[in-house]
Amino acid sequence: MIDTSVGRVARPAPSTIQQWWVLTTRGITPTLRNGELLTQVAASIMFTIGFYFPLKQFMGVYAQGMSSYAQYLMPLIALQAIAFASVSAAFRSATDSVDGINRRFKSMPIERLTPLAARMSASMYRCTVALVVALLCGHMIGFRFYAGLVNTVGFCVLVLLIGAALSFLGDLIGTASENPEATTHLMMLPQLIFGLLSVGVQPAERFPSWIQGFVRNQPISQFVYALRALAGDSTPGAGAVKWSVVGPAVMWMVALIAIMIPLHVLVSARRR
Amino acid sequence: MPGSDKAVVVEGIRKSFGAVEALRGISFEVGSGEVIGLLGPNGAGKTTMVDILSTLTRPDQGRAVVAGHDVVGDPAGVRRSIMLTGQHVALDDMLTGRENLHMFGRLQGLNKSEARARAKDLLDQFDLVSAADRCVNTYSGGMRRRIDIACGLVVRPEVVFLDEPTTGLDPRSRQSVWDLVSQFKDSGIATLLTTQYLEEADSLSDRIIVIDHGKIIAEGTADELKERTGATYCEIVPRHLEDLPAVAKALGSLLPDQNRSALTESADRVAMPAPDGPKTLVQALAQLDAADIELLDIALRRPSLDEVFFALTGDTPAGIDERAAEEGLS
Repeated sequence: MIDTSVGRVARPAPSTIQQWWVLTTRGITPTLRNGELLTQVAASIMFTIGFYFPLKQFMGVYAQGMSSYAQYLMPLIALQAIAFASVSAAFRSATDSVDGINRRFKSMPIERLTPLAARMSASMYRCTVALVVALLCGHMIGFRFYAGLVNTVGFCVLVLLIGAALSFLGDLIGTASENPEATTHLMMLPQLIFGLLSVGVQPAERFPSWIQGFVRNQPISQFVYALRALAGDSTPGAGAVKWSVVGPAVMWMVALIAIMIPLHVLVSARRR
Repeated sequence: MPGSDKAVVVEGIRKSFGAVEALRGISFEVGSGEVIGLLGPNGAGKTTMVDILSTLTRPDQGRAVVAGHDVVGDPAGVRRSIMLTGQHVALDDMLTGRENLHMFGRLQGLNKSEARARAKDLLDQFDLVSAADRCVNTYSGGMRRRIDIACGLVVRPEVVFLDEPTTGLDPRSRQSVWDLVSQFKDSGIATLLTTQYLEEADSLSDRIIVIDHGKIIAEGTADELKERTGATYCEIVPRHLEDLPAVAKALGSLLPDQNRSALTESADRVAMPAPDGPKTLVQALAQLDAADIELLDIALRRPSLDEVFFALTGDTPAGIDERAAEEGLS
């Protein structure tokens, strides 16, 4: 080592926007080379194949008068893709916490919420990729938008908002637990349970009567109802776009985010 | 900095975590260009002190000023003036060495071309050019530590905090970290380094502050401390473990009572101060020979941290067993 490593570079004033962007690209760059992006694509394809082909024969009959089982299943395909993306986000934030890089950021001239904002924007990139892949998969099996441009945009926005809420939740769990593996498991299990015990695969009436109440009212089902209506169908089976259908989904998200904001503040202010 | 050539001023800092008092009234100063070694065992409060000075933790009581900025009143000013290297390397493992340097340069406000140029400089100076475009998760421990420190130097710090910078490093990497600290000193940058190794504090620091249980128990130059701890130690290892009590007996008045009573059943050697250096060793050898005890090894060495504590407090330091266990694992 020679004697100039300390350097004479004057300290510039860092801009929050620049820091946010640098930290966002930091979250995105590795996904292009460590296989995360490919895994995301593969997961959406696997989920589509794994549910659609085995189930369409005997579930399709119960698709509540919709034109096809693809049309019926699409909301759950999109939600699973988003949930998968949020698990990746949770894994990343837990890794940051355990690696000590968050600690380092806190000792640097970086605003306290900038790293969180950057993690969230990197998550939104993941969610966007997930949505696009899910829509492509859906298109392949015959899913189409029928309810016009506004509702189509509404579908995409709602999926992305759910992704944002889930990523926010994942980030909270990851940061709080400081354990990437445990975080992944913690996120996977509810995803599976809520996904399978929802109206995404089959109507509530097809479940045993004692669990129908849960199936019908749990958040994933509410999201499915809303998304199905926004996507529309060539038949009226998708349900109409009205507040009684879309409202509960929106309320669930608002509630989820309202609970998480103070918890996030608590975790980021936490001292060892 | 108005009216002060002190890089760090600490006055009566106290900090508790629940019922645990981590720091119990710490005061010291670091001049600019001065290197201070904060020496103490695990749990002594070293990291808490560094956390307070780098604004990661707020003190309960007392005042601390870093590069002219109060850690509580103006944390942003402190953060603009310091570099912190923690016990664990804090990098983005998924990025390459060059990308990490570039990222930290950009985070510190350099524009793209400045950040790129600075990354190149630092890779050259830290001897990491050949590994520059590999992900840092493939780096060796020494390389990771070097790139970790390099990332803190993308802009010039006023004060550097190194929290156990050489823990877990091989001797060569350790030497390169030591060289770097000398450069900080030459550039007029104040450095506070924490360490568990007396040798490290000794060779690097202008002054050493020894802390234990959240209090300063000794402060001074390495020479001053060594005078108090005994300049040299003599270590005697018998060939047969069961000879240990016989060794202690044969040494007679050479072995101070303090060290005699510290001999435990699990000990495999006798360590004692050698105030007269080689003469003490020759005398010990003669006495052991007369008692017809076969030795595996007898040597002079510098006092270990345990012995510094022993001499300063007459007590084994908190957490030293814990530390031994940790080192055994890593």
